[in-house]
Amino acid sequence: MKRALFAFLTVLIGIAVVAGTALFVAKNGAEPPTLTATAAGTSQTSNGEVKHATLELSVFPNASATQAGPNIPASTTTLVANSQQWPFYSPSTSIQLPANALVTVTIHQYDTGGQIYNNWFAKPAGTVGNTMTVDGKDVTSVAPSNVAHTFTIHQYPDSNQPYMYVSVPLPAQADNAANQANGYPTPIDVTFSFMTGAPGNYVWNCEFPCGNGYVEFGGPMSQRGFMSGTVTVA
Amino acid sequence: MSTAVAIHEEAHVPQPKQISKPGGLLRRTNFLTALISGVVTAAVFWFVTDKITSAVAGAGATNSMALPSGLNINITMMYIGWVIGFMAGIGAFAGPIRWFLGHDLTHADAEYMAGKDMGREKFWKFTTDHKVVGIQYLVVTLVLFGFGGLLAMLIRTELGATWTEVFNPNFYNSIIGTHGIVMIIAMIIVISGPIGNFIVPIMCGARDMAFPRLNALSIWLLIAAIPPLVSNLLMGGIRDGWTVYQPLADQAPIGMIGYQICIITFAFSTGIASVNLITTIVRMRAAGMTWSRTPILVYGILGSSIMGLVWFPMYQYSQILALSDRTLLTSFFVPSSGGSVWLYENLFWLLGHPEVYVIVIPATAGLLEYLPVFVRKPLFSYKLAVSGIFGVVGLSAVVWVHHMYMTGWAPQSNYPFMMSTEMISIPFSFLVLVILGTMWRGKPWKRLPMMAVYAVVWNKVIGGITGVYLSDTPVDQYMHGSMFVVAHFHYMLMGAGLFGAMGVISYFFPKMIGRYLDELWGSIGFWTAFAGFQITFMSMFVAGLQGMPRRVLQFDSLFNISNWISTIGAYIIGIGMLIFLYAIIDSWRNGIPAPDNPWGGKTLENFTSTPVPHENFPVLPVVTSGPYDFGTPDPYELADDAIMQKTEGAEKVSARS
Amino acid sequence: MSYDIDELPESPSRPPLSERLKTPEGQRIVKVATVVSVLTVLLLIFCVWWPLISLPPTMSDTQAEVKSTLLIFSIASAPVMALVWGIAYYSLRHWNAGSGDTPPEDGPPIRDNNRLSLAWVVGSALLTAFLLVWGLAALTSTTTLPTDAKPLTINVIGQQWLWNFQYPEDGGITSNDLVLPKDRPVIFNVTSTDVIHSFWIPEMGIKIDANPRVTTTTLTTPDTLGVFNVRCAELCGLNHSYMETSGRVVAPTDFDQWVKDQGGSPGMLVPLDVNKIEPKE
Repeated sequence: MKRALFAFLTVLIGIAVVAGTALFVAKNGAEPPTLTATAAGTSQTSNGEVKHATLELSVFPNASATQAGPNIPASTTTLVANSQQWPFYSPSTSIQLPANALVTVTIHQYDTGGQIYNNWFAKPAGTVGNTMTVDGKDVTSVAPSNVAHTFTIHQYPDSNQPYMYVSVPLPAQADNAANQANGYPTPIDVTFSFMTGAPGNYVWNCEFPCGNGYVEFGGPMSQRGFMSGTVTVA
Repeated sequence: MSTAVAIHEEAHVPQPKQISKPGGLLRRTNFLTALISGVVTAAVFWFVTDKITSAVAGAGATNSMALPSGLNINITMMYIGWVIGFMAGIGAFAGPIRWFLGHDLTHADAEYMAGKDMGREKFWKFTTDHKVVGIQYLVVTLVLFGFGGLLAMLIRTELGATWTEVFNPNFYNSIIGTHGIVMIIAMIIVISGPIGNFIVPIMCGARDMAFPRLNALSIWLLIAAIPPLVSNLLMGGIRDGWTVYQPLADQAPIGMIGYQICIITFAFSTGIASVNLITTIVRMRAAGMTWSRTPILVYGILGSSIMGLVWFPMYQYSQILALSDRTLLTSFFVPSSGGSVWLYENLFWLLGHPEVYVIVIPATAGLLEYLPVFVRKPLFSYKLAVSGIFGVVGLSAVVWVHHMYMTGWAPQSNYPFMMSTEMISIPFSFLVLVILGTMWRGKPWKRLPMMAVYAVVWNKVIGGITGVYLSDTPVDQYMHGSMFVVAHFHYMLMGAGLFGAMGVISYFFPKMIGRYLDELWGSIGFWTAFAGFQITFMSMFVAGLQGMPRRVLQFDSLFNISNWISTIGAYIIGIGMLIFLYAIIDSWRNGIPAPDNPWGGKTLENFTSTPVPHENFPVLPVVTSGPYDFGTPDPYELADDAIMQKTEGAEKVSARS
Repeated sequence: MSYDIDELPESPSRPPLSERLKTPEGQRIVKVATVVSVLTVLLLIFCVWWPLISLPPTMSDTQAEVKSTLLIFSIASAPVMALVWGIAYYSLRHWNAGSGDTPPEDGPPIRDNNRLSLAWVVGSALLTAFLLVWGLAALTSTTTLPTDAKPLTINVIGQQWLWNFQYPEDGGITSNDLVLPKDRPVIFNVTSTDVIHSFWIPEMGIKIDANPRVTTTTLTTPDTLGVFNVRCAELCGLNHSYMETSGRVVAPTDFDQWVKDQGGSPGMLVPLDVNKIEPKE
């Protein structure tokens, strides 16, 4: 009987260790607080009148005194890896969008860029009319040698949720662009719209090699909260 | 060896002079000094490297970050400092340094190092006695299994929560790799470490291993290798499977260096242990123990040591090259600078596949070793068992490409490697026949070790048959990289390897610890884990057949049900393993004391007292018959009457709990 | 040396089979054979039924070949599994000596049986040879291009963490989902811009790694209309789990229409070298 008790106690301790570790890790691996798209009435589209929502994001080349870095727990990863020098999306990479709605996204782009690997990602795709506007002008492609980042929402085929693929290139700042008072150049504003379907979970990431390590896909490219995140359609 | 001393008494061998108390500096070194020394040396290496790299980077550089790979160089040197400092702190270099200074270790020093008349502190020191090393290996194995099991529970938690990402994908990718490599290391040492070091020299009738100091070196190198590996989780993780395929590994953060240093160090440890075991087995078997009277476990350990010795350097080499890519910016495996990813895959799998047999062969040989004891019959077709083991050892060299069928490396090579891979089922079928033939008409004594044989037969058949599917290239074209593969190798490594090891350890536990493993709680733990194992991995076969890739954390809802079932099964395994762990800890302290011959076996370890005395045998035994002479009138005859008298009391086996 | 004690003496006066089966030894053989036969039937049903309900729908000739090979292997291995498990079960059930504190009495000293060992070795070698020959034939047929139709070449590019597909024979269009015409052989030239990926279409039974800087090739002929999945089967970093896309097999006329909708032109060759997509230095 005593042995049964101690055996049970061993199991309990084991369960406590697993649960404790899981909770600790889940908490420290948390992503930035969710950014919900702002409702903006309704809008007339080819599918009839649908809800309309807007979302505003910025891309910074690095954190600085005027611009704090991503709002993620200061885990050891980010401390060791010198993440202050990493480019990142702001204010959050965890995005929530309304279902069955037209979403208009505006991205303020502050970073320089270069040549992208695959020219396919220099064209907007999956947006309304496969176009976007850059500083107010309609554009259907960006020079592949002049891309700073991309905003690419992934397909995630699951029988329970609709297919979604949206990819938009962000044109680069000139290397010698003059800095404003906040230490960054005047942003390039990119605006595009796309339709969401039924609720589902997606991810997005940047497809421009802006990290470190092999083919510059390490560092911020491989770390949620910087150049990649989640999209929840709810 | 002391055996020959009596004969050559006349010869004058100059002995080194005793310059201090026996043991000298080694009296002060232990695990704690090793930890302190390791941490301090690591810090010193970091500081010095940082200064040097900053200087190399040129004027204005405040730290090593100014160099493209400065951080990597610093971390690498820090880990190297840890290993060197740890080994120095444990006293591993005392012998060579004293020899170099002309004050070689004396006989008294050697006896001190062997832990003669020492209490429990010998387990925390650089002790050369093979029995101490065996116990150290056992504890390290249990710790590694505990850690790997914790990670397994986290993985299954993530996969069971199909609706959300519980963990950050980076962390998930890191724990699948860390779980893999921790479990692989634990499985490689689980038999060869505790049983190979503790039992094999006694079974061979030797007083110790051939190279006792190398033996201590191998266990402490292993212990030094583990902290760098575990620390990867705090340094951004390895973010790759346990295979750490390049160039993805090159993208991973600095945690990868911990993995690489661990493997490089562990390969040294394995090489040293293999050389030691091979020499002991080949050169130090008792008089009269011909190759046809050598117990089958000894053959199994020999085969596995040969594979480890030959193939581990390939893996080590691949990690040295990868580390060089990272720190010195070479490009062995960096395709954008002309490196080859296939080169890495080949180097990796040259060990990667034989390593499966390094795990499975000792476990199988361990079962064959005690099966005759429990059915009270000779081993069926000893020759077939030996040829099965060496058939696997031989063929293991020419099958590695079946892991690369789908890499596109050399599509034409799929034909010959498909042939060699399927051929390996023939020597394995020999081992199956030996098990069945030994069981035939024997009355199984249904204690936990015997029941483990039935459990392993069940698992190994499933693992083996699904292995034949995977060896077939067209089927592998569907299965490769899917959950089916994961389920298959868990059936081999865990189902046959780990459950076999649990049986082998419960068989040798009384001899090693001096107390029986608690039969009731050991069995409850074993069968709970076994039931959970079937649930987890049977359901994982379904996920694989449905088309679920491995190493994912989110997936199509098609796979939800099989993953929920798998997760429930995994928790049951966890509970079962914890109960088994409790049985080990409890029996270690309060178990029923074991007699000299705990199970009525006929191998040499049963003819010395329990607990085994300092130099194993009062007088070295002489072997006059085979190890499995059950049912025949000729029992073992030992040269010395004193030993015979001692063993008479051991015929009756003590009660179980 | 071996003592073939278990073997019946080989002599002209050997009793007929019907007599030998009545001896205790014969009875035992009959019982074991019964257990093994029952198990064989059960396992055959299980091993055939189980993959059939689990596998996704078959959409190509390659997957049909994979499926039939899988079933043949199941059928061949069921008796082997039954034999091993049957004997182990019989040993546990019929010769059980309990789990007492003392070992049971010694059993018969059977050390070897040369005829049985030889039969076992030859049997396992023959079974392996059969599976090998079947597998080699299946491998040859799945890697050979049918000669009766003009194949379609598609460049598959894997990159962290997306697939995209180029159609160099249809005006060089690029797509992020895979559209294939029915009943026309397709050759996939697969490469990667960064790390190793693995291009996997479960429904078509094809898989090949996408390696940086080199092109690997696989082929198949889709033969069923419908939707399929494209997955990555090699861990490729952060979003590996999400590196999936869908594809569909359409009628050849629909395929031509789709190409035109994408701005391409069916049959227009655009020299798109898949190797041109390379990691930058």
